[in-house]
Amino acid sequence: MDQLAAREKLEQDVLKGLRRPGKWYLLGLAFCTLLFVNALVLWGYQASQGLGVAGIMHPVGWGVYIANFVFWVGIAHSGTLISAVLYLFRARFRTSFNRTAEAMTIFALMVAGMFPLIHLGRVEIFYYLLPYPNQRNLWPNFRSPLVWDVFAITTYLIVSLVFFYVGTLPDLAIVRRRMTGVRARIYSFFSLGWTGSLGQWKQYSRLYLLLAAFATPLVASVHSIVSWDFAVSILPGWHTTIFAPYFVAGAIFSGTAMVIILMVPLRRTLQLQPYISIDHFEAIAKILLFTSLIISYAYLVEYGLAFYGHNQVEMELFRYRALGHYSVLFWLMIICNSLVPLTLFIKRLRRNLAYLFVVALLVNLGMWIERFILIVTSLARDFDPYAWGTYTPSWVEIGITFGSFGLFFMLILLFVKTVPVLSMSELKERL
Amino acid sequence: MMTQTYQYEEAEAFLSKLRELLQSGISQEQLELQLPYHLPEVEQLLELRPGPLRFFALTGGLSGFLGGLGLCIYTALSWPLITGGKPIVSLPPFLIIAYLLAVLFGSLASFAGFLLLARLPKRDNLLEPSDFGNHFVIVVKGEGQ
Amino acid sequence: MERREFLQLLGIFSGAAILPGCGDDRSASKLVSYLVPPDEGVLPGEARYLPSTCCECPAGCGLTVRVREDRAVKLEGRPGHPVNDGGLCMRGQAALWRLYHPERLRHPLRRDADGQFQPVSWDEALTLVVEGLRQARQQGRANLLLSGRTTGTLAELQQHFCQQLEVEQLPQFEPFSHAALRQAYGILFAQPEVPHYRIDQSDLLLSLGADLFETFVSPVNYARQLSRAIKQDDFQWIHAEPHYSLTGANAGERLILLPGSEAALLCFLLVRLDAADERNRLPMQLMAALPASSLEETARLTGLPKRRLEQLAKQLRLAERPLLIVGGIATSQPQGLQVALLAGLLQQRLGMVGNRVDFSQAEAYASVGSLHDLERLTERLEQDQVGVLLVSATDPLVQAPAALDLKQKFQRAGLRVGLCDLFNESAQQFDLLLPLSHPLESWGDAVPRRGVFSLLKPAIAPLYDSRSAGEILLEILQRVGQQVQNQSYQEYLFNTWQQRFDQQQLQQFSEQGFLSLPVSAVPHQFRPEAVSSQLATTQAATATAPHLILTPSIRSFDGRSSCLPLLSELPDPLSTVSYGRWLSMAPTAARKLQLRDRDLVRISSGDWSAELPVRLQPGLAATVLMVQGDLLSEAPLPTDARSGELIRRLDGVRLTKLGGAVALAILSGSSSQQGRGLIPDPVHTQEQPLEQTRFYRAHPHKDYRWAMAIDLELCIGCGACAAACYVENNVPVVGQQDHLQGREMSWLRLAPFYDDAGRASFIPMLCQHCHNAPCEPVCPVYAAYHNAEGLNVQVYQRCVGTRYCSNNCPYKVRRFNWWQHQRQAPLEQMLNPDLSVRDRGVMEKCTFCVQRIRQARDRAQDEQRPIRDGEVLTACGQSCPTGAIVFGNLLDESSAVYRLAHSHRAYRVFADLGTEPSIYYLRKG
Repeated sequence: MDQLAAREKLEQDVLKGLRRPGKWYLLGLAFCTLLFVNALVLWGYQASQGLGVAGIMHPVGWGVYIANFVFWVGIAHSGTLISAVLYLFRARFRTSFNRTAEAMTIFALMVAGMFPLIHLGRVEIFYYLLPYPNQRNLWPNFRSPLVWDVFAITTYLIVSLVFFYVGTLPDLAIVRRRMTGVRARIYSFFSLGWTGSLGQWKQYSRLYLLLAAFATPLVASVHSIVSWDFAVSILPGWHTTIFAPYFVAGAIFSGTAMVIILMVPLRRTLQLQPYISIDHFEAIAKILLFTSLIISYAYLVEYGLAFYGHNQVEMELFRYRALGHYSVLFWLMIICNSLVPLTLFIKRLRRNLAYLFVVALLVNLGMWIERFILIVTSLARDFDPYAWGTYTPSWVEIGITFGSFGLFFMLILLFVKTVPVLSMSELKERL
Repeated sequence: MMTQTYQYEEAEAFLSKLRELLQSGISQEQLELQLPYHLPEVEQLLELRPGPLRFFALTGGLSGFLGGLGLCIYTALSWPLITGGKPIVSLPPFLIIAYLLAVLFGSLASFAGFLLLARLPKRDNLLEPSDFGNHFVIVVKGEGQ
Repeated sequence: MERREFLQLLGIFSGAAILPGCGDDRSASKLVSYLVPPDEGVLPGEARYLPSTCCECPAGCGLTVRVREDRAVKLEGRPGHPVNDGGLCMRGQAALWRLYHPERLRHPLRRDADGQFQPVSWDEALTLVVEGLRQARQQGRANLLLSGRTTGTLAELQQHFCQQLEVEQLPQFEPFSHAALRQAYGILFAQPEVPHYRIDQSDLLLSLGADLFETFVSPVNYARQLSRAIKQDDFQWIHAEPHYSLTGANAGERLILLPGSEAALLCFLLVRLDAADERNRLPMQLMAALPASSLEETARLTGLPKRRLEQLAKQLRLAERPLLIVGGIATSQPQGLQVALLAGLLQQRLGMVGNRVDFSQAEAYASVGSLHDLERLTERLEQDQVGVLLVSATDPLVQAPAALDLKQKFQRAGLRVGLCDLFNESAQQFDLLLPLSHPLESWGDAVPRRGVFSLLKPAIAPLYDSRSAGEILLEILQRVGQQVQNQSYQEYLFNTWQQRFDQQQLQQFSEQGFLSLPVSAVPHQFRPEAVSSQLATTQAATATAPHLILTPSIRSFDGRSSCLPLLSELPDPLSTVSYGRWLSMAPTAARKLQLRDRDLVRISSGDWSAELPVRLQPGLAATVLMVQGDLLSEAPLPTDARSGELIRRLDGVRLTKLGGAVALAILSGSSSQQGRGLIPDPVHTQEQPLEQTRFYRAHPHKDYRWAMAIDLELCIGCGACAAACYVENNVPVVGQQDHLQGREMSWLRLAPFYDDAGRASFIPMLCQHCHNAPCEPVCPVYAAYHNAEGLNVQVYQRCVGTRYCSNNCPYKVRRFNWWQHQRQAPLEQMLNPDLSVRDRGVMEKCTFCVQRIRQARDRAQDEQRPIRDGEVLTACGQSCPTGAIVFGNLLDESSAVYRLAHSHRAYRVFADLGTEPSIYYLRKG
């Protein structure tokens, strides 16, 4: 087939996704929106009544909200990994996923960013956390990991947004060309008048490289900083040096799984099979397998240290994790995160998209549980035995958690209908 | 010499024409190229230099780093409250802030530099986009124009 | 009394003149703020400290009432008071809740024909009473007055009232009447009294069942005495009981007796000790009447090892100043009277009577009756012999044993007049309700024990249209023309006092709020002949297991204080259960039935049964089940025919596992300290902790570094500190639901930790004000930081509520406001205006009573001197009955806290974490 025709066909194939949505899409969107709106209502209820409507208590001051925060920040990570790190490594399969992965990063961060606000006792003065000049000249405490979080998440979100936007610029120009009327104008506006001249491409490629270079350390640092929320404390099970790499691996693990969860149905419904091959999925499945091994190793190290270190408090905590109130969740986590991904050593399973999809779902379930276990058990069994307690999430927390998934998938669905899910200009290079 | 426009459907033909034109002594300034996607070969042919975008990144990054560190130290000293027995100027946490701001400002400065250098947004093109679609286009501008 | 004299006296009891409660200016309101503040009276922002007496239980502890802007905001034990000497128990601390109780009666109420209560004026109400009394007399029915334990002038007025109006005064009703004890002392020594026990003068205390720290006669007094005794090196304390009490938990040694074997133990000791020494022997005839008590038999009956029994006899024999106290559960059983008699004999035999068992200062229980009196009352009610029944400041309807069915028979009285303070369920059984003023609103006096006079003086104007019992009785007397017209109860009191005390004593009485008059020694005569017949029945009968023992409660006393919300909020010291009722059982017994905490069981005896959740109680005997009596008031407890004491034990009860569990607010996460050394083992941790190496330089403190020392040897886990903290610091009472979710707000908690043998140790846990506080650096907004005086400060206004500080606190002492806590009116009036009420979403914690530090600093600054040692008393330390909590400046090498912090017993909890707490605990031994 001649090149021009192939490029035209690529554009047509990808832009099919932007056509008028079907019934199922609208239903899905409505469902996700409903979940989100429900969460907003619950949040309003919580803001008016106080955090008492959540299940968090003394001593478990952080519960599902912070688990969600860590989970969604983790999801965000593989987006940057795929788009920036793999770009620097020139991994070809990246092109199949990077657009969606970047969108996922942004949406996951937006969702994640809500949770620190949701869990605040006095959300009405959240701005105390921001560095703004005020009349008392009292600034945030930069020694607090929570302020690092504020900076890390903000930086990550902005850098990801820029990265995403710059990456879509050439594609927006293509959409503009292929649209008419108001939509064309809108896309024209967002494409900033991209024409594809050499001068633009020249700066574009350099910027892309620079942004990839800036974003790459963020992959490691943002989740490290999130992990320091815990590691900087003195609680057993939190205060450990392994946390930063362990969290980063876990983040990439869950994020990669989320990419699979998004791309398998997208590939099918948008008929993108010609552009996203099984090989690409296999490559990403290998990342999944690799990071699974890393976190399994981290689990082992944690237990090994706890028992070899002979620290009573630590030992009791890790015994409690495996055998205490939350033991069912713990073992579910082990199955999902450490055992199920091992099956990906088998090539046939690795290349089976349906299987991969199920594994990815389980991995994300497992990773959510991991955050829950990690946060809750350490608080539930810390130093003073008198203060031990058991935490059960309330329906408000559960509703808001589902709402966060609703918001995330709502944004993904909107993204699918507004932005080409594949980077056409990059795919053209590959044709 | 009149302005000439060449359109190609395929990259190879486009590249050979470009090579030909360059060998014929046409300077880079006279060439105006439109590409449907990024072709690294073109830059090799034209022997393009890395360009000034790097300095935007560097400046942004450095100012972010220093600004971040300065902000932390200044704010800590402006109200020296003891927390947890740690020093007022606690460098390790401050370096985290400095690092993050380096990344943030570096990225934003790069983006700003990009917009500046690539002359975006282009108002003309916003209103009336000139687009060559999936064609490779070489425009050779006439001398004196 | 002449007007001149009255005014003179008024002057002596200073402050009286301007008290709004005295005049007719109840409706007065302040329109203009003070330009020239009066010499005496309400000063905005200034607290006044007035003396009073606690009336929450019969012990009669002295109070200092802190009054701010005409509102009582805090009660404190009155230093120097002969009963409590500064200490105050949790019930005393909670007494303010009674004053501001939302359910208080606000005006007289009368039940109309429909059974609905209608407000009436005092005039109408008293006319009704007078009319009722007259009618009943005409009908030949008896008019009766039943009151709780009443002493002092009011008791005299009651007598006077009854004589003048031909009202029969029933013996006073107290659920803890100590009737067996009084009867025994009456038989033995012709002293039907509860003697004053001088624990601090003994070197060996053997207590048998008496719950010295919970409800027995004068708990704060005993705690004070015991703390003095424990400080002496050679003091030994052995406590024997079948169940598990806070007293037992704190004794040097707790002997677990088989239920009902107290008499056998005492018999054995009596025989052994009598044989050991030739002098002073008891009459042969008496000894012959005692049942044979061989060592083997006693060991079998009591369940104690033979060696221990022998040793116990030896200890008693060798002790120079032994003291035996029996009471509580030991005398509330079928053999209660024998136990009391045998104890009396032993006290006589070992020479305690007249010194350590002191009848000259007897606790004023002589006019208290027993359950027999209530039985007689019900009989008379049944026979419709009762006309007007005046019930004053007691609640027999709830507290009488269920078997009497008093509530039903009560209806048969002609006119039921209740002098009560709360409009609760029992109040609604009356025909006419006369609202009583709270003791803090009234004039009065109390004589808790012979020779001790304690003043009641209004601290605030009455909140409602209420009167004190004295005022009511006096006014009725005046209506029938039996008393000087227009004489107020205050004048009546002054009159009495003037007759009783000389001018100097009056002055003293008014200034200190109490008066200790010398008492003449009471010659006691020993009458052994009367005993023999009583002892003949001392046959040890082995009761069938399992036994249900209904214990007194430190929180509600006999149930009377359970209406005070704070006391439900504070956990029971041993079980750490706050709200709800529960059945304590031994872990071993529970394991057999596969029961865990909160599992529901049915306990039944005869026709009666009750369903309760289980709470495992380490250290409890396997055959004993324990419920706090007031939580199971419907239990069919029999009355001892001889002593009229309630038998607080059911033998051979059946226990059935029902399956399923119920929500029960157990505040403790673990009854064991898991070997973490919060309370170090005195045997194994003799070595000093290593000098902490610091990574960062220690930050300097200029003049003060506040620190606290808590002596665990003295701490008895009574929870008075926690109660004081609630009141002082406006800590919200959050209720059952929040407790079930682990959201109690207490800044200070008392953790009981049990060792493998079931021995309990208590540790008060509060903010440790760490030098390197983990909570501070994690706060993103500087809401938690360290101030220059070593306080870990929490800025409520700054707090955004991330709760990270609480997560990172290894002591878990920070409390988060999950809600905007509401205080039902008028409870908001007891808020301490010196500190803020925290909003929803804000973290709070112990501040070392920073408001008190500030007051002391202001005072010191005015006088241009540094703050003196002991000048700052935290609320917890002030209230502690044993003086276990000492607060002060660690930089001052002469301070008490410095000395204690450098004691060889001092340690800090979790020292290995490097947090460097400012609280030094002193380990036992």
